[in-house]
Amino acid sequence: MTGPLQQFAASTHEAGGDIFSSLGINGQMLAFQAIAFIILVFLLGKFVFPILIKAVDERQEKIDAGQRAAAAAEAKANEAQDEVAKLLKEARGEAKDIVATAKDEATAMINAGEEKAKSRADKIVADARDQLEKDVIAARKALHNDTIELVALATEKVVGKSFSEAVDKKVIASAVKEQV
Amino acid sequence: MAGTRLPRRKIAVYFADELLAGRNVTNQLAAYLVETKRVREAVLIVRDIEVALADRGVLLADVASSRELATETKDAITAYLKKTTGAHDIQLRTSVNTDLLGGVLVETPSERLDATIRHRLNQLTATKI
Repeated sequence: MTGPLQQFAASTHEAGGDIFSSLGINGQMLAFQAIAFIILVFLLGKFVFPILIKAVDERQEKIDAGQRAAAAAEAKANEAQDEVAKLLKEARGEAKDIVATAKDEATAMINAGEEKAKSRADKIVADARDQLEKDVIAARKALHNDTIELVALATEKVVGKSFSEAVDKKVIASAVKEQV
Repeated sequence: MAGTRLPRRKIAVYFADELLAGRNVTNQLAAYLVETKRVREAVLIVRDIEVALADRGVLLADVASSRELATETKDAITAYLKKTTGAHDIQLRTSVNTDLLGGVLVETPSERLDATIRHRLNQLTATKI
């Protein structure tokens, strides 16, 4: 490490002792360049950097706004999801209630229908029995009447031909005796 | 009698008494009914006369049968009527009606004895329901 530095010091000493000259730097030129640099920095800071910074700030603002909007949208989506879940839960509950009510009503209707059908069937059977009994009674009456009619007719026919005087006398005597 | 409108019962009593006295008053009765314009009451007056005669012990009975009655049957009927009505003189007006089929139908002003086969058949038929 010491080698190059010793070499530089020796060369400087040999050239007359001015370090800037030994380095090849012109003082005036250096000052001019420094002033130009300062002016450049001033101009950039005055006219260019504010525009760039403003554009960057706006861009950052837009990004932040987008992020906020995304966060808000996410929050809203989450809320909506929760709401949907809640509504679904409520809907499921209501659907369950509706189904249960419908089942109860259907069961009640079926029971009522069965009861009604049973009572109607019983009535039909009772009516049929009544009608049957009436028919039987009517048939018996008709048979009774027909029998009487036939007996009267047959008796009339038979008696008209075979009623002898002796029998007639006997009938009359019996009737008179009964009255006495 | 011709000028006043007498009650049927009085007329019947009068003619019954006349008949019992042995007088034939048929023409007189007919003339009276024509004169008083009571011909339509003839049947009723005759019935009343029969009632009046029955009250006096003379009973007229209509006897209907399906064939001519034997004497012993008539006697039995007469005896029956004497016993039930208390009449001392029974007159039977017999008739034959073959529709009666058998037995006898005796009708007096106050009684009716229907012992015919027709009546019994009618009773049987009346039991129809």
